[in-house]
Amino acid sequence: MTLALQGVCAGYGTGDVIHDIELTVGAGEIVALVGANGAGKSTLVKTISGLIPARRGAISLDGARIDRDSARARVRLGVVQVPEGRQVFAGLSVRENLRLGAYARTRDAAPAQFADSMTAVGALFPALVPRFDEPAANLSGGQQQMLAIGRGLMANPRMLILDEPSLGLAPVLVAEIFRLIASLRGEGRGILLSEQNARLSLAIADRAYVVENGRIALSGTGQELLNNPEVAARYLGVGKGVSVTEGGEQARLTARLKTILTPSP
Amino acid sequence: MAGETGGIKNDGDRGTGDVIQAIQIVIGGLLQGAVFAVLALGFSLVYRVTGVINLSQGAFCVLGALLMYTFQVSWGLPVAVAMLCAVLSTLAFGLVIGYTTFVPAVSRLPVSSILVMTGGLLTLIQGVLLIGWSSQPYALPPISGEAPVQMLGIRVPTQGFWIVGTAALIILGLWYLLARTGIGLALRACAENRMAARLMGIDVPLMTLFAFALAAVIAGLGGIAVAPITSLEFDTGGFFTNFGFISVAIGGLGAFAGSVVGGFLLGVSEQLAAGYVSSLFANGLALALLLAVLLWRPNGLFSAAPARRQDVRDEQRIHRPIVRIEGWGGVAFAILASAFVLVLPMVLPPGGILNSLVITGILFIAVLGLDVLMGFAGQVSLGHAGFMAIGGYAAAVLATTYHWPPLAGIGAGMLLALLCALGLSLVTARLRGHFLALATLAFGLVVDSLTVGLTNLTGGPSGLVGIPSFSVAGYSFGTATRMYYLVAVLIIVLVAMLQGAMRSGFGRALQAVRTDETAAAALGVDVARYKLAALCIASMLAALSGSLYAFDFHFLSPDMVGTTRSFEMIAMLVAGGEGTLIGPLLGVALVTLVPTLFQPFALYKTFAEGLVLVLCFLWLPEGMFGAAAVWFGRLIRRRGAVR
Repeated sequence: MTLALQGVCAGYGTGDVIHDIELTVGAGEIVALVGANGAGKSTLVKTISGLIPARRGAISLDGARIDRDSARARVRLGVVQVPEGRQVFAGLSVRENLRLGAYARTRDAAPAQFADSMTAVGALFPALVPRFDEPAANLSGGQQQMLAIGRGLMANPRMLILDEPSLGLAPVLVAEIFRLIASLRGEGRGILLSEQNARLSLAIADRAYVVENGRIALSGTGQELLNNPEVAARYLGVGKGVSVTEGGEQARLTARLKTILTPSP
Repeated sequence: MAGETGGIKNDGDRGTGDVIQAIQIVIGGLLQGAVFAVLALGFSLVYRVTGVINLSQGAFCVLGALLMYTFQVSWGLPVAVAMLCAVLSTLAFGLVIGYTTFVPAVSRLPVSSILVMTGGLLTLIQGVLLIGWSSQPYALPPISGEAPVQMLGIRVPTQGFWIVGTAALIILGLWYLLARTGIGLALRACAENRMAARLMGIDVPLMTLFAFALAAVIAGLGGIAVAPITSLEFDTGGFFTNFGFISVAIGGLGAFAGSVVGGFLLGVSEQLAAGYVSSLFANGLALALLLAVLLWRPNGLFSAAPARRQDVRDEQRIHRPIVRIEGWGGVAFAILASAFVLVLPMVLPPGGILNSLVITGILFIAVLGLDVLMGFAGQVSLGHAGFMAIGGYAAAVLATTYHWPPLAGIGAGMLLALLCALGLSLVTARLRGHFLALATLAFGLVVDSLTVGLTNLTGGPSGLVGIPSFSVAGYSFGTATRMYYLVAVLIIVLVAMLQGAMRSGFGRALQAVRTDETAAAALGVDVARYKLAALCIASMLAALSGSLYAFDFHFLSPDMVGTTRSFEMIAMLVAGGEGTLIGPLLGVALVTLVPTLFQPFALYKTFAEGLVLVLCFLWLPEGMFGAAAVWFGRLIRRRGAVR
């Protein structure tokens, strides 16, 4: 499944916030959106999921236009957003939160499939399992982020959009979340990752776009952008990377992180 | 007053023993409580899904009952068929009202505005009922006949079993829907976080409509069940809304079990008060119970919402800036407007119209205070006419019974209102949003029941007669023209003073409180003090208005300064333009003058008032004056740009 944006403009009130956005996310691909606070990443992501209408341009899924569809219709097509700031249903139990994640497909899916998804999410986030019957408000910030992602996965997304998943999390948890995101690709699922933490998101991304002032300023593979001195100066700053540990996938990540940390020739 | 018509007829036999009588009263209370509980469930349902209190709830109760009357009594349909038709019609009406007003309001208005808009819906539906069924009381025949069931000397009307059965059925049905079904889970998700609910693929507007219409049907069923043992009029809905709201607040907003307990608690305590103290004070005592509960537990007995982390809640804060004409345009406008007001009586034909203008001016003084409180400080007040009643009755009683000079009477009335405001603030200081609205509503209702109940002092429901004209040191303001100039000058001075105050640091502090209490407090604004100051100003202006009203009319009755008037004043304020000071004059004029000018339309007055309020909220949120000022401001700016 391929998500494509052509010349998309959107905004609030009288002015546009994002302008002429051209972007694609292919099947099985992790694409990162990198940019400063207020660059328009969140607006772009909300426009894709249908929370904000696109004023101009086309959003299409495998060539079929979806920009006139409601948010509900887009979820049913498999475009699922995990919102910024977690936004779990605080007063509902963890189990109910997950059930709501599958709300859009309850009509098509058999109860068995639903139970399978529940088990799969439980396997992915073992820390949530003992707390299934507690209200989501009782979870820690990191667990709430896991719940938000798990809830998104319950919809069986073919295009998963993550908005600032590392926001407000401790560095150890950030590494864990990124490791997890990297593992979510597969089964042809595309992932669009909007993140302020440019270093880590470029490290796990196949391709990336740099958003500045509501426009795509730069694009390329994650590697290219990491090595781009302008990007490095503006978004990577100075500092140590977080260690992302062992395993095949993780080894690849560690290697990438090392390339960030060593000055390019 | 609505309280009298809505109360359950107490057919306890005074001759039997004390115990039997007590049981009889408690049974009466439980029946009344069952209705309150059903209403409270409707409130909780809509609140759980939208975070909004729907004040139109009570009107659907009466709508269901009156439709039932038409189908069962007028058309002679069998009970079951009539009930089905009545419920389906109520559902259809609820869907139409919900789709055209409530759903759009929920998606684009701040919560306090939606609350007041549903108050407008209440008025609007009452207007529809008045047009459709006129103003006489209705009672349905009991479903299982008139003869009560006799057990151990205790008589229970058979309808009582229908009421309790209906309530039980609704409670069970609602519990099943919310706790056991997918729709119920989706409804609860909407209440928790509307944005995330949309991302889950939940059709949030559809769920909102569903909750609104379901609540309407629940209320309608309650009305049908209770109609045989009480009498209903077009405006009984106000009573049901008030007491349903109070029940749900005692129990805890959104807590379903709490709503039911709150309803029964209120019903029983009200009937006990009526049985052992005085039926006139029953409402007042029940409301005192509420204020005590709020003082002790500001979130009700069973709070539904656990303390939540602020960072996981998506609070959509919608704010409207204060609109005003800036600079010399404003000064020129003020001079022109004052001149117009002062010249007007000279060009008008003598007679009725001038009298209406005087009343417009007098009511405007009260609405001016309400603007400071609601428009600037953002404190919803649903009981503002209570202060008018306090001021009006104090001044009128002192001048009529004790022959005080009117000016001293007005002073005493304003002082008394100020003291009451200080007392009320002990309760309201801790409250925000819905609970603040509720406490002010309860305050207004307490004053209502006192003005009706203290018959020796106030003349009771039939009113206080023989109030002298206003006079100062022997100079009487007995003619319409003199009264007009008195009021006009008073208004010009008051508006000028408040205009200055609202542009000073005081006004900015009030607006900071209105926009964000927490942020205002963080900036060093003493939030409680400024809220209290606004309440004091508003209460004194209302008292002034109430006393002038009494002196002008030479008569004062409870419904002239009752809760209906409180809602009317909010309609005037919103239609004219909140936070514009002068704008509400247009609103007052619209509501006061139009029925005078077109007498044949008196029947449609209630409907039109509700309609104006609802339409203004939906389409003209800055009010008539606000819209004009915005347009004028744009015009000036464009001129400036050209130059």
